[in-house]
Amino acid sequence: MNGARAHVLVCTGAGCVASGAHAVAAAFRKSVVEHDLGGEVDVVETGCLGPCAVGPVAVVYPDGVFYQQLTPDDAREVVGEHLLKGRVVDRLVHREGEGQAGIPAAGDIAFFRSQTKVALRNCGSIDPMKIEEYIARDGYAALARTLAEMTPQAVVEEITASGLRGRGGAGFPTGVKWRFAMSADGERKFVLCNADEGDPGAFMDRSILEGDPHSVIEAMAIAGRAIGSGQGYVYVRAEYPLAVERLGHAIAQAREYGMLGQDILGTGFDFDLEIRMGAGAFVCGEETALMTSIEGKRGEPRPRPPFPAQKGLWGMPSLLNNVETYASIPPIILRGADWYAGMGTEKSKGTKVFALAGKVKNTGLVEIPIGTPLGEIIFDIGGGIPDGKQYKAAQIGGPSGGCIPRQHLNVPVDYETLNELGAIMGSGGLIVMDEDSCMVDVARFFLEFVQEESCGKCTPCRVGTKRMLEILERICKGEGVEGDVERLVELGERIRDTALCGLGQTAPNPVLSTIRHFREEYDAHIRQRRCPAGVCPELVRAPCQNGCPAGVDVPGFVSLVGEKRYAEALRLHRERNPFASVCARVCFHPCERKCRRGSLDDAVAIRGVKRFMVEQEDRPNVPEVRADADNAKRKVAMIGAGPAGLSCAYFLARLGYRPEVLEAEDRPGGMLVQTIPPYRLPRKHLEREVRMIQKLGTKIITGRKLGRDFTLQELREGGYQAVFLAVGAPQSQKLGVPGEDLDGVTDALRFLRDHNLSGRSEVGRRVMVIGGGNAAVDAARTALRLGAESVTVAYRRTREEMPAYAEEVDAAEAEGVEFRFLLSPAEVVGNNGAVCAFRFRSQIPGAFDSSGRRRPVDSGEPEVELPADMVITAVGQSLPAGEYFDGLGVKLDRRGYVQVDPDSGRTSIDWLFSGGDAVSGPASVVEAVAAGERAAEGIDRYLTGESHAFWREERQVDTFFDPDADPAEFARARAEELSPEKRRRGFEEVEIAWGEAVAVREARRCLRCDYGKDG
Amino acid sequence: MPKLRIDNVEVEVAEGATILDAARAAGVRIPTLCHLPGYPAQGACRVCVVEVEGAKNLVASCAAPAVEGMKVRTTTRRVREARRTVVELLLSDHHGDCQTCERNNDCELQALARELGIREVRYAGQKSPARRDESTPALVRDTGKCILCRRCVQVCAEVQGVGALQAQNRGFLTQVGPAFDLPLDSVTCVQCGQCSAVCPVGAIFERDQIDEVWAALENADRHVVVQTAPAIRAALGECFGYPPGTLVTGKMVTALRRLGFDAVFDTNFTADLTIMEEGTELLTRLKRKLVEGRDVPLPMFTSCSPGWVKYAEHFYPGILPNISTCKSPQQMFGAVAKTFYAEKLGRPREEVFVVSVMPCTAKKFEAGREGMNSSGVRDVDVVLTTRELGRMIREAGIDFAALPDGRMDSPLGLSSGAADIFANTGGVMEAALRTAWEIVTGRELPFDNLHVAPIAGLQGVKEAAVEITGTVPDWGFLDGVTLKVAVAHGLGNARKIIERVLAGEGDYHFIEIMACPGGCIGGGGQPRMTDDSVRAARIDAIYREDEGKRLRKSHENPDIRTLYEEFLGEPLGEKSHHLLHTAYAARERI
Repeated sequence: MNGARAHVLVCTGAGCVASGAHAVAAAFRKSVVEHDLGGEVDVVETGCLGPCAVGPVAVVYPDGVFYQQLTPDDAREVVGEHLLKGRVVDRLVHREGEGQAGIPAAGDIAFFRSQTKVALRNCGSIDPMKIEEYIARDGYAALARTLAEMTPQAVVEEITASGLRGRGGAGFPTGVKWRFAMSADGERKFVLCNADEGDPGAFMDRSILEGDPHSVIEAMAIAGRAIGSGQGYVYVRAEYPLAVERLGHAIAQAREYGMLGQDILGTGFDFDLEIRMGAGAFVCGEETALMTSIEGKRGEPRPRPPFPAQKGLWGMPSLLNNVETYASIPPIILRGADWYAGMGTEKSKGTKVFALAGKVKNTGLVEIPIGTPLGEIIFDIGGGIPDGKQYKAAQIGGPSGGCIPRQHLNVPVDYETLNELGAIMGSGGLIVMDEDSCMVDVARFFLEFVQEESCGKCTPCRVGTKRMLEILERICKGEGVEGDVERLVELGERIRDTALCGLGQTAPNPVLSTIRHFREEYDAHIRQRRCPAGVCPELVRAPCQNGCPAGVDVPGFVSLVGEKRYAEALRLHRERNPFASVCARVCFHPCERKCRRGSLDDAVAIRGVKRFMVEQEDRPNVPEVRADADNAKRKVAMIGAGPAGLSCAYFLARLGYRPEVLEAEDRPGGMLVQTIPPYRLPRKHLEREVRMIQKLGTKIITGRKLGRDFTLQELREGGYQAVFLAVGAPQSQKLGVPGEDLDGVTDALRFLRDHNLSGRSEVGRRVMVIGGGNAAVDAARTALRLGAESVTVAYRRTREEMPAYAEEVDAAEAEGVEFRFLLSPAEVVGNNGAVCAFRFRSQIPGAFDSSGRRRPVDSGEPEVELPADMVITAVGQSLPAGEYFDGLGVKLDRRGYVQVDPDSGRTSIDWLFSGGDAVSGPASVVEAVAAGERAAEGIDRYLTGESHAFWREERQVDTFFDPDADPAEFARARAEELSPEKRRRGFEEVEIAWGEAVAVREARRCLRCDYGKDG
Repeated sequence: MPKLRIDNVEVEVAEGATILDAARAAGVRIPTLCHLPGYPAQGACRVCVVEVEGAKNLVASCAAPAVEGMKVRTTTRRVREARRTVVELLLSDHHGDCQTCERNNDCELQALARELGIREVRYAGQKSPARRDESTPALVRDTGKCILCRRCVQVCAEVQGVGALQAQNRGFLTQVGPAFDLPLDSVTCVQCGQCSAVCPVGAIFERDQIDEVWAALENADRHVVVQTAPAIRAALGECFGYPPGTLVTGKMVTALRRLGFDAVFDTNFTADLTIMEEGTELLTRLKRKLVEGRDVPLPMFTSCSPGWVKYAEHFYPGILPNISTCKSPQQMFGAVAKTFYAEKLGRPREEVFVVSVMPCTAKKFEAGREGMNSSGVRDVDVVLTTRELGRMIREAGIDFAALPDGRMDSPLGLSSGAADIFANTGGVMEAALRTAWEIVTGRELPFDNLHVAPIAGLQGVKEAAVEITGTVPDWGFLDGVTLKVAVAHGLGNARKIIERVLAGEGDYHFIEIMACPGGCIGGGGQPRMTDDSVRAARIDAIYREDEGKRLRKSHENPDIRTLYEEFLGEPLGEKSHHLLHTAYAARERI
């Protein structure tokens, strides 16, 4: 760079060029001239800076201020403000989240801060069209040293000692490869560069060629010297015109400067380079296919051995490395092997470039020391998952790679670990997927890619991957059959074992790895004809309905509300879920999370529409019941009158059964009445729906507790042909800290039950709630309403990681509940046998645990003691199995819950079915409803030999919809609530239903994803 | 000399040997499919995979070199299941109507399925489209049968240097065929049929014309004569289980008679005639060049191999004037049969129906070439390959092994040993030299047993030089001239010679080219599979046939003399010129 006072480095990587970088650079230049800053400010077009998602980007030096998403107008503003007046344009700098403070300095942005750039050292710092700038950054010094001071052996030893491994995919030790090529005999030898980057989403090689082409040229010359070769070829795909142009320009310049050609640097060493363009066949990234292609033949692999180092291009010994590998060579020569080997892990040294793509906030190129945990790449550098969605998996290594699920977020990203998990480093493509990705569909996508890119030479790859693809396509269409997964695994393993080249051998990886980590998703497609992520079109009528555990026809009832046909809407809802009124109040609405309108502006407020709908029920709305004399005689019992037990009874009653529900407490409703506070669910609404179920022929017998008043065996002996066990998970878990037995310590279930069932209202002055789930929040808000002066919820993780529904947490906070995070319970401090304080160890987020969250670890800071005279623990619930299954041998899962067949709810005992929290652990109301429905169908099938679940048949509602009309333009309607002050004073319902105008308008925001799909 | 263990059998093999070679040496059978002995391994089908201790994946034994100390297992469950899966996958993409397939009971895929005990194809799915290409007179392609082993691609490109067939498209859509999915007749295919000779299944085969022959035989108005090329007698036996190289001339004649042919003749007869014409043509060219100083195209190339002629028309039109204008023996036979013989028979030429039995698919093409009807009707009506004749005999229920020996009919059945050796590489040249030498010097060719050793054998390009001394007066201008000849077989080798000639190297006078490796005995219409050991055995048989003959030189054939005396006049005379010579034209080079 020249003596200018300031430099504007405008990224002109292909990504930024595509988003308009040239116009931005031109605007900078023009504006600099207009402001008469010509001699003072230099505008430089550089290679890729990395954060492609926010391009065009530029950095202004010497301040190092990073500007993003620039337009030509913005460029003029930066010149006028920043370069002329010295004021950073805050509007254009990076910020980590919406509404957060801007971070002007590139070095302060997490995306840049966590990186270590070796291969990308010059990308974004120099003008790739000027060899002088490369030379100014020590360019060609490594070549000079190689020629002047080092023997070929010494060069190879240096590379070997650095631990550098092939960055193109397989990670073969580069030094070993060089040594083979060096010691091979041949009348000519060739140095080859693989720039046939083909993994979807990976573009690091392109960026290096575009941003720092001389680093590759220099390294290839070094390699030529080391192995005794005078000619090199760079094999670039023709789809990279900018890379070809800049590399071609750089080669010409290097020749001009005597860095290529005859007698390089006067040492007598001759070496020259040529570019060979490929037509973009993925398989040409395989080394033997690449060489075959350079030879002018159809790019197909040939058997190895002989390896390229023995017989490569035109049968001559050849050394082949990829772009990124070469780009790492000059710094290794200059700074020494020890420096390079000081980064990375024991077996995987140095740095690796990744192309972050998919559902991650900061997409783009990042270079990091190998061994960095995956979670850090995604959450620290990548900024995490956008739109509040959950991380599901990272696909690493392109089509040959595999998926890494949540439970392995903490693994170090190195060659060995990735292999163990069924993925590969590959060229460094890293595609992040969130909960909306269907892993079967992902596997299908990658397999389709490799099948189309297979050269078709060997049988396993040509036909085998096709057969696998066909099986996957069937599964995605809901036509999978039992045994398909096993067939995929068997075929996949055979293909891996027998295919000719790396492409075929790794082609099954995406399938095998998704089966390994997401088997249940395959099973859902095959057994339940369900795509849990809501992706596979044949299995998904509408994503909202698909996302509803109970399968409620959401677009159906919403559109009926839109036409003011409320009774029909409600009836449609109750086809699949009797608790419309309950769910309108307490459901955590997974449907809204999946709503496609969400990608347009905001999801339809489905629960709000539903709330309005249930308010319109004047006469009890009963569903269709099919009387059946045989079923009426069959004795069936439900144990537990919670949402699962009552739903099961509801659906059986609709088939003509006369189910009996045995309830331990003296009021039906289970958790709906015992723990969910009335300010969320006023009791009369629950009672109305319970009455409706009774009216269908269900008998509820209260005060009958399993294990106390009767046993399962007795029921059986009493003539019950099938029993549905829905007892929930009513036992609270202990904290396991000293002082837990002090007076004033209770658990959330007991506290809420006491209040809700017995009306007890004793509460402390200073209440400390321990836990982060919904029970904790319910207890806290109840305590507040009962008159506590202060209520604090202490949770050992962070707010984002709380299992409680975010809207509940927000509401509690608005009411005055204090939340403290990263506090781990240490001791309940007592005074005279009563609680007086709670002591915590303060935590910091540590490594990612198997739940995909950062495990809290002691921060090392002093313990925190908070005053409290009442402690409510809410740290988990369990099933007291011993009380229930006296000697019956019911199988439990590892967590101690009942193990059932997911389709029918059947336990290991043929007449015993189970569902709800007893099976899943604490979960939502709608999941319990769904479990009850499944068990009802399962019991009916068990007793009659066939399924009669008529409510499962989908019907297109006859509401009007114009598919050509633009979506209604209203914004999402907000929920109306009582003011926090009013709320605190009592147990009045917090949420207020909308008026008709608002509800109908909101309903019309629906995009009708179900349109044209009948069932 | 690496030593290794295969299924616990220790074996030592030559440097450069593959695991497959080593296994064969150890007596261990490894099934193969895409492998063509003697050519670079493709490693495409993956049927020959084996387990090598220490290797992560299974290894294709056809391609992997045998390495000192290697431990190989070929019978483990992993190996067996892998092979079975590979073959099942092939079957899943194969239109397998075995019972009606041309290759029924002669199919390598069928045999493999049986060998591996496959009872069910577990991986059913979409099949590649089945299209038949019947555009050429010689070959039929059926893509539905193709298993993409690429032997045909390898033979066409690497052996013949033609490259008319290649892999196209990708993934499951990959198919083998002419570029841009064109029909075979619109590309450079020379119809040599080497593809059909190596195809393991029914994807490429000769156009079956048996029914046309039956129809002629059953037509009372037709006098049906048959000619058999010299290469047939050394190979036909293989169709009936005889080892390669068994001479079955006599049984063949009897079989043909039993099939109902009115006369059983020999292409050898016109091979002798060819020598008279072609030898004279060469001497004439030499005379014009050396005596008259005219610009005559030399060296002269032989013209008996229709695949070669078509190859030259596509790839080297510039050398067409150098190719002898002589029709091939097959076509000369037709022309003579429809004229001289018909007259003798006293029947109109239209009623004489000429069937030839050839080792060659290109002969089917040649019979239909423009100009092959100088008598006014087609010289040759139907060409059958050796394989078709075998099938025809079997179809007729003839017990070949039990047949007594028969003798060819007269007058087109008598031939010299020189005609026999037309069947193999170097044979035409040797036959020509036997006659030309004697014409020029009046003495017998000065080689042991008349065999020109330097141009015999399976080496790709061969040459010889003989100094001519002591000429008879007419040919005195040749005295002291060193006659230089060259021989190539397989079109890849032909290209080498042509390039040499075009580069001005090797001032040959006469060059023999046969399109197929080994010459006609290795023709595209011969019983499968033809490798070098089979070629050598057939060549050996041909030389035995030659040496067993009383007549060893074409000009000694009395019936040829009669033919000239009674009908043709003299070699290169007007009638010969009209009936026995032809012309060539350049063809497109797609």
